[in-house]
Order: sequence, then C-alpha cells, then structure tokens
Amino acid sequence: MIQAVQAKLIASEATPHALPPVQLDQFEGPLDVLLHLIRSQTMDIFDIPMAVITVQYLEILEAQEEMDLEVAGDYLVMASTLMQLKSRMLLPRPEIDEQGNEIDPRAELAAQLLAYEQYRMLAEELNELPRLGRDVFVRSIFPEAKDVQRPLPEADLDALLMAFRAVLKRVGGEVRHRIFSETMSVRERMTTVLERLRKGGIGLDELLADEPGREALVTTVLAILELWRQQMITVVQSEALGTITLLPKEAMT
Amino acid sequence: MNAEQLQRLGSKLEALLLASDEPLSMARLRDLLGEDLQSSDIRAAISALEAFYQDRGIQITQVAGGWQFRTTPEHAELVHKLWEIRPQKLSRSAMETLAIIAYRQPTTRAEIEALRGVKVSSQMIATLQERGWVKVIGRKEVPGRPHLFGTGKQFLVDFGLDSLKDLPDSAQLIDEDEIQQMVMGSIREHDYEETDTDEENPHENESQVDRD
Repeated sequence: MIQAVQAKLIASEATPHALPPVQLDQFEGPLDVLLHLIRSQTMDIFDIPMAVITVQYLEILEAQEEMDLEVAGDYLVMASTLMQLKSRMLLPRPEIDEQGNEIDPRAELAAQLLAYEQYRMLAEELNELPRLGRDVFVRSIFPEAKDVQRPLPEADLDALLMAFRAVLKRVGGEVRHRIFSETMSVRERMTTVLERLRKGGIGLDELLADEPGREALVTTVLAILELWRQQMITVVQSEALGTITLLPKEAMT
Repeated sequence: MNAEQLQRLGSKLEALLLASDEPLSMARLRDLLGEDLQSSDIRAAISALEAFYQDRGIQITQVAGGWQFRTTPEHAELVHKLWEIRPQKLSRSAMETLAIIAYRQPTTRAEIEALRGVKVSSQMIATLQERGWVKVIGRKEVPGRPHLFGTGKQFLVDFGLDSLKDLPDSAQLIDEDEIQQMVMGSIREHDYEETDTDEENPHENESQVDRD
C-alpha cells in the first residue's frame, strides 16, 4: 500500500504536468480519459503532444489497484496505440496521401477523439432533455379500457372435458359423496310460509303445528330463517320466552 | 371558424388530451372530432391551448407525432415526493450508447464500440431494449449479419421528442468523413505553423525530435 503511494508520488514528480489523481471508473473508456487529459490541459487536439499524453495516460492506468478484466483490454490497446504513435512521431514520415502530403500518424486518433467527443456531448444533451418519469409526468392512473373491451376467452369444451377426464382418472372413478335430491324443498316451503303470512302475522307455534314430521319441521324453520335473512319477513318476540310471531314485511310499513 | 367555435374545439381537445393515456396524433384527433374538421383548425385550437397553459403546472407537449398533457419539469421533485420515487439515473455509458444509436441509426454494435472505444455489453443493450428506447430494426448485410439498431417510439415519448428531427443539435452533427477532412486540414496547418512556433512549445520537443 505504502509502496504504491510512493510509486505514485515519484511518478508524478517525474512528469512536468502533475495532474490531480483520477480514478479510472470515472471514465467511460480510453477515449474519455484522453479527452479529459487533452481538454483539462487545453492541449490542441490537432497537435497532441504524444510523449506527454502517453506518460500521463500510463500513469492513470498504473494508479489503478485493480482493473476489471473486461475493460482492461480496451485501455491496454490504447496504451499500446499511444506508444506506437509516440515512436512514429520520432521517425521521418514515409506515409504520403493522394495529394502528396505527409500523413500525420496522429490523424486517426484525433478523428476518433473528435467523433467520440461529439457523441459524448450529444449524450449529455440527450440526458438533459426533460425525461418522462424523471422530469415530467403524465397522468398515471388509467381506466383499464383494454381490460373491459377484451372479449372473455372462449370456453374450450374439449379442454374442459379432457381436464375432467384426467381428474376422474386420478380419483379412480370412486364416488365419495352421494347427493340425494331433497324431498322437501326450502324454496317451496318459503313460498308456503309467505302465503300463510299474507293475511297477517302468525305465531311460530301455529305455523309449525301442522307440519308432518321432523324433516318438514326442519325445512320450515330453514325457510323462515332464509326469509328473515332476505328481510322478506320480520320475526318478533315481544318478551323473553314469549311467543314468537312472524310478520310479513308489508305489514310493518 | 369563428372565435367561439375555436374556443369550443379547444375545450373538446382539452378533454381528449387529459383523458388519453398516450399522445394523440392529428389523425386520431380528426377521427375523434369528425373528419369534416380542418387540420388547420385543430392546430389553431391547440396553439391557443398551448398559450393558455404557458405558465401552468401542466403543459401541452408535442411528442412522438402527437400531443399530450405533461407536468412541467420544475415540479419534478414534487411528483417524486407524491409517488415516492427516486429519479431514475442512467449511466453515462448507457447514455452514450443511446446517443450513438439515436443519431446514427441504423447502426451496429461494432460501430458503437468503435466510436466509444470500449466494448458494449449485451446487458446494456438489453436494458435499452427493455425500456423500448432501442430496437433491432434489421440486419446488416455483411459477414455475420449483425443486428442493426435504431430507436423505438418509446424513445421519442420518454425524451419528449416529436420526431428524430428534434434531437438536439442533430443538424450540427459532423460525420466521419468531415471529421477526417477537418483533422487532416488542421494537422497540415499545424505543420506549417510549427516551423515558426516551435520555440513556444518547449514541452513538445520530445515529440518533435527529428521532424524538421
């Protein structure tokens, strides 16, 4: 750790342009780092001092304690490009373009930097646009019109039968419950009770007196409870343990 | 159309724009309001509404080929508080990738990588696709047939753009050839200048040995 710090100090002393330390993760890649170096020192992008920039670039790279392998490659490729350019700048230029002009080895890098800088700036401008969900909002709760209009999925009889058959098979055809049709219908009895109440109130005892048998009794009581629940009749008991009277609803009003 | 009719039309438009959950296009508005209406009348009524909402908390925004009511950016924090949300932040790398796709579409991943000088992760492209900002719009007919990326309608909606023409500074965008020429030209100029100004740049001596 101390060694690393010392190495950094020595390295920055060695260069004429000591820069404030920067972290690589602040950058979006080698082009971003180079642009930072060039622009922060107001260097001319068309006349990049290769030796200085290469040293500074390598310094930033070396200062990283650990580098993500995925991004390391891109940075290292640029490092080698810079070193190659630096050495090519030292040589007389053999490359000549169609018009007979010497080709500056830095031209390609400068073009790449300019193109990148342009998109970097456009990205910033794009980011500053008022964005939906960040800066501007629209009404957020919508009637679920789509759900209402959507037709119900059509019932597939075959699928239903197949599913039923599968269940039957699993159960093994065993019938576990037997349902007998009721001889006394609560509904029917409700009608009877209402009919008898039409003339006015009637005592519970009186109503139940002529019921034949236990089953009929239970059914009638159920019918009374159901009628009461549905508020079609009123059940009155004027005193504790007194007679219970049933009144049709109309009689109340 | 007289002033009263225009006023009446404006009031209808106001109702439609408020009740719609997406931007309403001119075609859709004409469809809803009756075909006999002139587009110019609708446009005039919208202009009047726009003026009316000038200094209000909501405004009529022209997005993705339609109109929509939106809150104004100055109240963003208030709405964040109401919805208990944190403003979404996008990484710079995602924004750069999106910018390249938006301005250069159709474009390939290789092109994005060349421009940014770094690898573009599939994860990031997937994130942009999930938001509906980026779409695969075809394949480039070169070996490997790479995907061609472009922006989707949601990109216009979310960035409040009426069309791609409204991208900021798109007119000033310089293409590669122009940059190349610019660089060549500028560097050549420098070569001539340098013969006079060499002494003024002593720190560059290292790189200029043997040049003269």
